[in-house]
Amino acid sequence: MAEGMTYLAVAYLGMLIAIGLWTWTVFSRSNDLEHRLQAVERSLDTIEHEQE
Amino acid sequence: MTKRLAETILLLGFIGIGTTLGLAFLKAPSVSINAFESPEAQRIFYWHVPAAWAAFIAFGILFVGSALWFFKRSNLGWRMHVAGAEAGLATGLMTVWSGMVWGSAEWGVPWDWTDVRLNTFGLLTFLAMFLVLGRQSQPDGVETRDTFSTFGLFGFVLVPLTYVATRLWQIRHPGPVIGGGDSGSLDGEMALILFLGAISFTVFIVGHVLMSMRITSLEQRLESIQEAMDKV
Repeated sequence: MAEGMTYLAVAYLGMLIAIGLWTWTVFSRSNDLEHRLQAVERSLDTIEHEQE
Repeated sequence: MTKRLAETILLLGFIGIGTTLGLAFLKAPSVSINAFESPEAQRIFYWHVPAAWAAFIAFGILFVGSALWFFKRSNLGWRMHVAGAEAGLATGLMTVWSGMVWGSAEWGVPWDWTDVRLNTFGLLTFLAMFLVLGRQSQPDGVETRDTFSTFGLFGFVLVPLTYVATRLWQIRHPGPVIGGGDSGSLDGEMALILFLGAISFTVFIVGHVLMSMRITSLEQRLESIQEAMDKV
């Protein structure tokens, strides 16, 4: 019984860590893209100013 | 605003899932030791069933998105297709993996190739994997989107087939616990924790789909700016 509950706790923890990592990758992908987009938009603004 | 909302929904879902697992581990009543080979492993059910429920929602979003792109050329539809495929892959893997953990403990084998429910659900998960990996390996374009949308449309046939599989051909996978007649009744406390799990996974998958749609939108914006810059 106790051994079964230990295996179950390990399985639950594994699943929680997996879903936590997945959530983290979603957040980091979103932030990374946002930063890249901001950088491209800033560089476009700079080019436009230089052309003026 | 949309970003904050999506992030909040995703985090709420995650907290709900953690709470469900805590309750399943500490509060859920034990099952009869005579009815199961491995009664403790039965608690996997509080993860497995809500994950499968969330997978069906994700595949529904994939189907609607595929149809919207294929018939209406809707960009929103394409974003739904991408988000549905990603969410379907993640929840499909969670369902398959938790099922295999339970199968190993209860049946002595993680998979039964003769069981219809297991195989149709496994195929659905493979379909989502094909769509996610395929999209990443191909340049974005009308032909690519048409091809993947067709798979999203026809692949959805597996959803109702998976749902009725244990009703029509009950081989090894247990029968329905809800809506399956008298034999499928659940203890009140068990039903409550299962319900909390289903709500949490639904909230989580909605948050993920919103975040994923936003990511695809950002990718498209970045790509169009880069294309415009290349032309200059």
